[in-house]
Amino acid sequence: MNVAVTTQPKRKPSFGDWLKTLTFYELLVGMKATLTHLLNYKPITLQYPHEKRLLPDNYRGMLALLRYDDGTEKCVGCDLCEAACPSRVIRVVSGEVPGEPTKRYSKEYYMDMTRCLFCGLCVDACPVDALGMTREFEWAVYDKRQLHLNKQQLLAIGDRSFPVREKRLELQHPNVAFFNVTFKHLPQKEN
Amino acid sequence: MPDQKPETVRLTIDGTTVAVPKGTLVIEAARRVGVMIPHFCYHPKLKPDANCRMCLVEVEKMPKLQTACSTPVAEGMAVRTATTTVDDAHKSVLEFILANHPLDCPVCDQGGKCDLQDFSHQYTPTTSRFTETKRIFQKEYFSPLIETQMNRCVQCLRCVRYCDEIMDVKALAPVGRGTMTEIKHFGPHELDCEFCGGCIQICPVGAITSRLSMYEYRPWMLKRADTICTFCGDGCRITVQTKGNELIEVNSAHGAGRNNGDLCARGFFGFHASSDADRLTHPLIRREGKLVEATWEDALEYVAEQALRLKLAHSADAFGGLITSRCTNEDLYVFQKFMRQVIGTNRIDSSARYGHLNGVQALRRVQGTHRWTIAFEDIVAANALLLVGTNITETSPITGLKVKEAVKKRQASLVTMEALQPAIDTLSNITNLALQHFPTHPAQFGNTVLGLTKAVIEGNLVDATLAQQAPAFVQRLTSALQGISWENLEAVTGQTRTQWTETAKILAGANRLVILVGNGVLRHPGGDATVTNLLDLLILLGKLDKPGCGLGPLAEENNDQGAVEMGAVAEFFPGPAPLDDQPVRDRIATVWREELPRTPGASLTEMLAAANKGSLKALFVVGENPVGTLPAEAQAAEALGKLDLLVCQELFLTETAAMAHVVLPACSYMEKDGTFTNSEGHVQGVRQAINPVGDSRPDWEMFSALSVLMGSPLEYGDAREILKEIRTVIPGYGLLGPTPTPPKVDQAVLSGYLTQGFAGDAATRYAVSQPRQTGDGSFTLMFVQTLFHSGKLSTHSKGLLQLQQEGFLSINPEDAARLDLADGGQVKVSNSRGAITTTVKIRERVPAGLLWFPEHFDGEAKQLAEWTIDPRTQIPYFKLAHVSLAKVS
Ligand code: SF4
Ligand code: SF4
Ligand code: SF4
Ligand code: SF4
Ligand code: SF4
Ligand code: FES
Repeated sequence: MNVAVTTQPKRKPSFGDWLKTLTFYELLVGMKATLTHLLNYKPITLQYPHEKRLLPDNYRGMLALLRYDDGTEKCVGCDLCEAACPSRVIRVVSGEVPGEPTKRYSKEYYMDMTRCLFCGLCVDACPVDALGMTREFEWAVYDKRQLHLNKQQLLAIGDRSFPVREKRLELQHPNVAFFNVTFKHLPQKEN
Repeated sequence: MPDQKPETVRLTIDGTTVAVPKGTLVIEAARRVGVMIPHFCYHPKLKPDANCRMCLVEVEKMPKLQTACSTPVAEGMAVRTATTTVDDAHKSVLEFILANHPLDCPVCDQGGKCDLQDFSHQYTPTTSRFTETKRIFQKEYFSPLIETQMNRCVQCLRCVRYCDEIMDVKALAPVGRGTMTEIKHFGPHELDCEFCGGCIQICPVGAITSRLSMYEYRPWMLKRADTICTFCGDGCRITVQTKGNELIEVNSAHGAGRNNGDLCARGFFGFHASSDADRLTHPLIRREGKLVEATWEDALEYVAEQALRLKLAHSADAFGGLITSRCTNEDLYVFQKFMRQVIGTNRIDSSARYGHLNGVQALRRVQGTHRWTIAFEDIVAANALLLVGTNITETSPITGLKVKEAVKKRQASLVTMEALQPAIDTLSNITNLALQHFPTHPAQFGNTVLGLTKAVIEGNLVDATLAQQAPAFVQRLTSALQGISWENLEAVTGQTRTQWTETAKILAGANRLVILVGNGVLRHPGGDATVTNLLDLLILLGKLDKPGCGLGPLAEENNDQGAVEMGAVAEFFPGPAPLDDQPVRDRIATVWREELPRTPGASLTEMLAAANKGSLKALFVVGENPVGTLPAEAQAAEALGKLDLLVCQELFLTETAAMAHVVLPACSYMEKDGTFTNSEGHVQGVRQAINPVGDSRPDWEMFSALSVLMGSPLEYGDAREILKEIRTVIPGYGLLGPTPTPPKVDQAVLSGYLTQGFAGDAATRYAVSQPRQTGDGSFTLMFVQTLFHSGKLSTHSKGLLQLQQEGFLSINPEDAARLDLADGGQVKVSNSRGAITTTVKIRERVPAGLLWFPEHFDGEAKQLAEWTIDPRTQIPYFKLAHVSLAKVS
């Protein structure tokens, strides 16, 4: 593709231009904000950790696994969060709940928080709202392996961050009353 | 099949013109131009049922929407698949389905590969107008391996139709009406069927799923490897799905492989054998009488050292080798090359000895090929099929499906000769489809075939040209058979002359006649003679070299055919070529750059005898277990106990491996690359699906390593290099194509056979063989293969063990009533060799006077078997016993 290059004919500098150059006018414009702050000084740095910032409502912090109000885990091990995660943080190993034939859950659940982008896609993907983003962010550690969290740790985070819990699904939506239930009269899957 | 070109019809689909054969369905024509019409109940394998209404399309000049899955194309038809009306129809059909569909996707194993999910995404809004409670079915326990969740069923009946049309099992049925229709099996107990997994594969939603892999995976997590099943000679293409290094699922895509996506229980549910916890993971060396773990270096050096020492002290012929034909062609080839070149002996054998050799020898002798002259396609296209000595459903299930297809879809006439009774049962029974069935005692196959040949000759059905071309052959057979009276034949076999005559007419009248011979003949005394006589029958009918006609021996092991072709038997070099074939010997010698040994080979039984005498000092055993499989009379344990060096390459610590000096852990079929050659002679690629378990290695690698240590290296980079060498030795071997190209009858060999070749043993082949008299009881006990087990791997598969995990005695109801035996009761089975106590199972399909015992659980029972060795072919027979029964209370 041909691009026609048009050059503007050079304008002769006027007296005003000349004056601006002499007085560093442009620099002063740039420094305006700095100079104003210098004149009426008010500290904006928070003295963290003594002072803490007010977090916005939609703050996306540490991830957590949640429970229903009867204490049972919400996660059904569907693996959708794992599929949704763009940076492969999550690993779900699903299986049948021991002692509860045909009910599905995540046998193991891992999050490698060193890689998490806090995008919240997993939370969106979860069909049973088993994931939540807490307001926790103080997760600096010396050994980054400590950021490799298992299910128990993630549930614990949920427990301390979400004291108000939802009712079980079947109580909320009678129409899905048959979702992921156990059938005691069936044998457990052999392993 | 008339081979005329079918008429073509032109039509337009969404404006694209397409020409398709007459009779094609609109949905198939659309697929050809890349238009996918949504559907649930349509499946290319099944007859159209048009029950789901998902596939509605607009056809010009037709007042209403039409179901694309049941409307055949017509000249000039204009089909539209994407108009507003069609779209509305899709929406409404889906809305009705979803009105009752649970929101199970998160916990449903079909999620991610579900047609309903896909179509819903494509055609429906995300909200529903229905607020009513959904339909809920009582959840019932279905079976240990198949899980149903009827709330998810869209009532397309694909499962029911598959089980009936393809499998002929008829285990499933729809129960109830309207939306309350659910799929159930029969009877008050859990599902009892062939467990082919077909219903799992064909269900478009998650209503029928595998319990074996339940909740273990999501489709997108799985890595797939297309490989070949190891459990029988049919050679099915399987797709092994793994997560990490874990085996999750096996299935087979429609249109893939020789099996076209159909599998049997062993292929579908048997895959866990490879990851069994009992797998050997380290080499073992015997130190102070005990097998202890060792490194590969130590183990291989020990073997090489001992082998060199023994070779020096004795001769190359103090060595023997035994390999299972479940190995890949590459393993088999390197094995025989190792034995012939590095050790320098022809004393090798493989499990093809147990029966498959009978078939190959007969084919070579009469028609000059070592392979079938037919392929599966010819079975499907046959007009008449003769099955001799095969309970094909249980031994070669997929070949069985081809036979069923020929009979059910193409109205072929089926004639069966087998120790099997027609009966409706939980497994399909091929004799139910037979036009003529000869219930044949296992020792009477030869005589029953004689009757058929006699009927052909006496019915003047002999091919007219043959009588001119080979008068000697026809006359010799005619006179021999005239010497046998019908009364005599009827008396020994229990068949009737009329049935033979009728059958002869059916076979003679068929344009395309296919004969399949199974283990009942191949693995029993006189097997090769019976196969030769069947080939004679084809010759007499003038059909041996006609297109679409031929005889096929059914291999039991997945690579029986390959073992023979790779020369892993005593009498053949790779090819197979006889040991005295000088041109082949020269050709191989140029490739190997070494002379081939001139000493005669030795079969399994000869090697055992030699070991017992002390002339055999060392034995390499690959995946075989003579101590465990042969009856005590074979004296395998004694023989192997006398060896100075016994090396076993094994997956598990078998009875034989437990006696070895060194045990080397081998890879299973899931962990290696290579090729298998199936019954019909099709060479197919085996691909690695998981990493080797523990420190195990492919068998060829071990021989390669040993050869280096022993100073005459056979080095290969990978399995493909071996295949390349195989191709120089056997030109054109295994050019992997989608379908086999069966060889043609070698006319020179055939005319040689017709002039003189037949004469040598015609007198013995055409004489009534009298049943052997034993002093033992009146029942004939057969050790049979069952559908749920095959080979030495299947008893390590947790899925298959859930279907069958112990031996039991199958008995005919009349016999059971006579002896007052109840189903599930105990019975004592005894003869002069010993006695066992086992459980009784009453099955109508067992003929009176016969008893079946599954050979995979024959542990104790084996001692009852009669041990005979065919003096000519050296084939050992040990699958039969004469016993008496007594109730145990
Ligand atoms: S998406 Fe939700 S229910 Fe599914 S595995 Fe993740 S957390 Fe569990
Ligand atoms: S059958 Fe399909 S749509 Fe129904 S719950 Fe299972 S995955 Fe979802
Ligand atoms: S698994 Fe059983 S029920 Fe299902 S199609 Fe096969 S034989 Fe029929
Ligand atoms: S179980 Fe599956 S295949 Fe059978 S009718 Fe229901 S949806 Fe169709
Ligand atoms: S055992 Fe035979 S029929 Fe069954 S899946 Fe394997 S190869 Fe196919
Ligand atoms: S696919 Fe045509 S009606 Fe079901």
